[in-house]
Amino acid sequence: MPDGSLLVQMLIGALLGLSVYLPLAAGQLSLATPGFMTVGGYVAALLSTRVAALGGAEPLYPLPWLLLELVLAAVIALALALVVGLPVLRLRGIYLAIATIALNEILRVLLLNSSWTGGAVGIFAIPQPFGDPLGYLAALLLLLLLAGAACQVLAGHPLGRAMAAVRDDELAASCSGVDSFRVKLLAFGASAVLAALTGVLAAHFFNTWNARQGSFDASITTLAFVVFGGSRLWLGPVLGGLVLTALPELLRPVGDLRLVVFGAVILLGPLLFPQGVVTPALLQRLPLPAGWRRRLLP
Amino acid sequence: MDTLLQILVNGISVGAVYALFALGYTLVFSVLGVINFAHGALFTLGAYLTYLGVGGAVGSNGALAGWALPLALPFPVALLLAGAGCALANLLVEAIAFRPLRRRGAEPLLYLITSLGAGVVLVNLLQIAFGAEGYALPADALGDLPPVLSLAGARIRSVQLLLLLVCAVVMAVLTVWLERSRGGRALQAVSEDAVTARLLGIDSDAMVRLSFALSGLLAGLSGGLVGLSVSIAGPYFGIVYGLKGLGVLVLGGLGSVPGALLGGLVVGLAEAAVPGDLSGLKDAVAFAFLFAILLLRPQGLLGRPPISKV
Repeated sequence: MPDGSLLVQMLIGALLGLSVYLPLAAGQLSLATPGFMTVGGYVAALLSTRVAALGGAEPLYPLPWLLLELVLAAVIALALALVVGLPVLRLRGIYLAIATIALNEILRVLLLNSSWTGGAVGIFAIPQPFGDPLGYLAALLLLLLLAGAACQVLAGHPLGRAMAAVRDDELAASCSGVDSFRVKLLAFGASAVLAALTGVLAAHFFNTWNARQGSFDASITTLAFVVFGGSRLWLGPVLGGLVLTALPELLRPVGDLRLVVFGAVILLGPLLFPQGVVTPALLQRLPLPAGWRRRLLP
Repeated sequence: MDTLLQILVNGISVGAVYALFALGYTLVFSVLGVINFAHGALFTLGAYLTYLGVGGAVGSNGALAGWALPLALPFPVALLLAGAGCALANLLVEAIAFRPLRRRGAEPLLYLITSLGAGVVLVNLLQIAFGAEGYALPADALGDLPPVLSLAGARIRSVQLLLLLVCAVVMAVLTVWLERSRGGRALQAVSEDAVTARLLGIDSDAMVRLSFALSGLLAGLSGGLVGLSVSIAGPYFGIVYGLKGLGVLVLGGLGSVPGALLGGLVVGLAEAAVPGDLSGLKDAVAFAFLFAILLLRPQGLLGRPPISKV
C-alpha cells in the first residue's frame, strides 16, 4: 500500500476518533460513529453512481456534486441522530450506548436487505473527485482542521463547559441550570454529522462501499481511538485515530492480533491510563510555548 | 407458511435463549448496576467448550488445528463443564475489568468500555485458536432421544425441548433462591444498597463474585445448547446474541428477572412470526422493540422507574 493512502486512512481514523470524543465529552458513549459513517458513505455512493450518473464524460467527479453529497449526508445524519437522541437522551445513564448499538444493527440489516443499496455486495465503481490520494489528503485535512478548530473553540465556550459539567455529574449540572438534554443532543448530533462527512470522503476514496463499514468491529476500533488517546482534550482522539490506524499497518507481521490489541487497549486503558495518553498533565510537561499550552488546556 | 403452532414452538424456544441471555446480564446488573458487555463472548466460549467436551476437533484454520480432547464426554457432562468453565472465565473478567474500577469508585461508563474490551479480547483469542469457521455439534449428541418429535403437524426438535426445560428450571431455581434463601436475600440487599448491606455484615465482594459466576454459568449453558441447536457460526456468533440480549434486557426492564423472561418470549415470538420472504429483517426485530420501549416506557415492561436522589 502506498504511503499516501495510509495517510488518508489515518486522517479518516482521526476524524472518527473526534466523532466518538464529542458525545463522550458530555459523558455519553455513542457506538454509532461507524453507523453514521456508513450512512454518509451510502449517500455519496448512491448519489454519485445513480443520480449524478455522469457516464464518464468528465475525467473527474465534479466538486459541486461532492459538496451536495456532504450537505445531504450531514442533514440525513443529523435527522437520524435526532430520531435516536430525542427519546434516548432524556434518560440518564447508559441508554445511549445500548441504543446506538441497536441503531448500528438496524442500519446494517436494512442495508443488507435492500436491493437499492446493492444488498450484501454494496456499491462499486464510485467515481473519483480527486486524481490522486493528495486530493483526499487535502480534503480530509481541511475537515480535520475545521473540526479541531470547532473543538478548540468549544473548550472555552459555555457550551463546552456545560458538556464537561454534564460529564462530571449530570444531576449536579441540571441543578445548576444546565439543560443537560440539549447539551447531550448537540454533542450527539455533532458526532453524527462529523462521522457522516467522513463517510462521504471515505466512500469516494475506497471506491466501493458496503454495510460492513458499520460493523461491530468498527465500533470497537473507533472506541479504542478515544480510549487510547484520551477523552479530556480533543487532541487525544485525533492522536489515537492517527496512531491506531497506522499501527496495524506497521505491525503487519502480527497479523490477526489487530483486534486483540484494540480489545486490550479498551480493556486496560481505563484501568492503567484513566485519561488516555494525551492528558492535561502531559501538556504541562511538554516544552510548548506558553501561549499554545494555555490555549490547548480547557 | 408455518402453522401457528410451529411459530409458537420456534418462537418460545428461541425466546428461552434470549431470556437466559438477558437473565445473565440482569444478575450482574442487579448487583452492580452496570452491564457486563463480555457476556456474549462467554456465550461463545461456552459453545466452543461444549464442542470440545463432546470430542470435537479444532478445524484447519485455527492455531490449535486438529487438536481434540483424548476422550468424548456425554453431552450433559460436557455442557455442565462448559458452564463451570464460563463461570470461572467470568470471575476472571470480574477481577480484571470490574474490580479495579469498583475499588476506585469509577463511573458506570468505564465498566461498559472495559467489559467490552474483555469480550473483544476473548472472542478474538477464540478466533485465533479455533479459526473463523463454523462448527456443528454431532447430531447424535443427545444419545437415544429422537431428534425430531411431531405434535399436531408441528415439528419439535428435542434440543428445543431441552432448551425450554433448562430455561424453565434455571428461572425457577433462581427465583426461589433469590426470594427464599439467605444467599439470595443477601444478593438482593447488596443490589438495594451495597454500603448498608456491608454494614449489616454481608460480604458484598463475595456477592459480586457470586453474581458473576452464576451469570457466567448461564452464558455457558445457553451457549452450549444453542451450539447444539443451530451450530456455532464462528467466534462472533455470541456477540450477535449478546446484542439482541441487550434489546431483550431493556424491553423487559433492567434488573428485573421476570422482565428478562417476558422480554425474551416477546422477542422470540415476534422473530418467529416474521414471514419467510422477509426473514432477512428478523435480526432487526429485537432492536425495533428496544426503540419502541425506550419511547413508550423507558423502565421496560416489568422494570421499576429509576429514582434519582441528590
